[in-house]
Amino acid sequence: MLALARRDYAVIRTYRLGFALDFGFGFANLVVFYFISRTVQGVEDLDRLGGAPSYFAFVAVGIALSGVISAASAGLAQRLREEQLSGTLEMLVVQPIRLTELAAGLAAYPFLFAMVRAAFYILVGGGLLGLSFRQTSWLGFLVMLLAAAAAFSGLGILLGALVLVVKRGTTLVGLLIFVLGALSGAFFPLSVLPGWLEAIGRLLPTSYAFSGLRDAIFQGDDWATPALILSAFAAVTIPLALVAFRLALDHTRRAGTLNQY
Amino acid sequence: MARDSGLLTGAKVVATRAEGLSTATREQAVQPSRAVVEITGLGRRFGSHEVVRTLDLTLAPGERAAFWGPNGSGKSTVLRCIAGTLFPSSGRVLVNGFSAGTLEARRAVGASLAQERSFYLRLTGHVNLLFFARLHSASEREARRRVGALEEELELEDIAAERVDRCSTGMVQQLGFARALLGNPAVVLLDEPTRSLDEGARGRLWAALERRPAVAALIATHLKEDLERCDWRVVFPC
Repeated sequence: MLALARRDYAVIRTYRLGFALDFGFGFANLVVFYFISRTVQGVEDLDRLGGAPSYFAFVAVGIALSGVISAASAGLAQRLREEQLSGTLEMLVVQPIRLTELAAGLAAYPFLFAMVRAAFYILVGGGLLGLSFRQTSWLGFLVMLLAAAAAFSGLGILLGALVLVVKRGTTLVGLLIFVLGALSGAFFPLSVLPGWLEAIGRLLPTSYAFSGLRDAIFQGDDWATPALILSAFAAVTIPLALVAFRLALDHTRRAGTLNQY
Repeated sequence: MARDSGLLTGAKVVATRAEGLSTATREQAVQPSRAVVEITGLGRRFGSHEVVRTLDLTLAPGERAAFWGPNGSGKSTVLRCIAGTLFPSSGRVLVNGFSAGTLEARRAVGASLAQERSFYLRLTGHVNLLFFARLHSASEREARRRVGALEEELELEDIAAERVDRCSTGMVQQLGFARALLGNPAVVLLDEPTRSLDEGARGRLWAALERRPAVAALIATHLKEDLERCDWRVVFPC
């Protein structure tokens, strides 16, 4: 697994500008929301923001966690697609590694990168843009990030299986991640949604991830229950997704499409 | 594959022992053991197009078989069935007694299939080889040792120092062959391994196989020189 992550890092390092731009874009994103927050200052209803002291604090956590959820759920699909396009997928499948090692190894670098980027966003939000960490439970922060990533790894493996079979599935994957984030309170409180949509949003596991992380950062407690729910979700979905991944890989071997793109 | 010269196996694929060749040297050098590759009634179709009708083939340690036939006759398809990246439509393929594609079978296989698009182009050949060596459960130190030894044996130091996207087809082919040997395989599957190689590189490839008398080899080729170096010829008609 580490070999795959190191390989990805070695490839990414050859795109130096892209590496810097990724962090630059994230910073610019935060700054835009910082000024949006200043625009609506005094207008926003703080009771709706789940303990966050401002809209900027609310959305900064949403942006940071969205990156982690996106990496956990779309990272494998995107990496598989890259391997398909570059023609290396067949040679990877020939190697003596287990299916779980292949899936975890391909998703490892995007996931680790997203964790670092999330920490970067939060720290930049605190250091430069006035986000307060006085009440933060750093243990809760870490546990929530890991639990959220684990919870959405199952979805990630399932989407990876989809890409193996239909090839061009990454657009659908991107759309799904965006909708999940929007309906779960990444960028605005669920309470502003129409009642029926809010009900759906509250059922989504992503909403537990956002509320739990905000609780850990802004209140320092109440994160244990969302973390447990996300862990249970992971325990159920990951084994099922691995079965689907195995079936998808077998399908490509049967259809003769493993080396196609 | 039956051992009688000129035997027709099934209705489609013909396997013969190469005339004038002897495997005595290799047979003496390796311990008699079970078959490394055992193919029974292998057939493969893509939709309505039947690529391979029936193939029976048994390869012992150290034996070499050449797959000979025109483009599209199914040589690469059979190699992929043995590598486990393609399931047969009928029949079965065993590698070291395990079904092709299983973890145990993959441990025994070193494959060089479509070389041009099977490396990470922005990395050097050396980093690519190190990566694939690590996938064989080798420790970092062991991986470096294996890669270093192969680069020296195949005289690949200069090629391996280049980024793969700056290598010619023949250079990438040499890297592909080195990768096939990384895991100390029981059988190597080589798809046209000498097609773009210069004379020196061809010589190093065959010398490397000669130094591994226990390693079985299945080689898809269009070159008569390759045929002459193999114990068996499996002829794939149009």
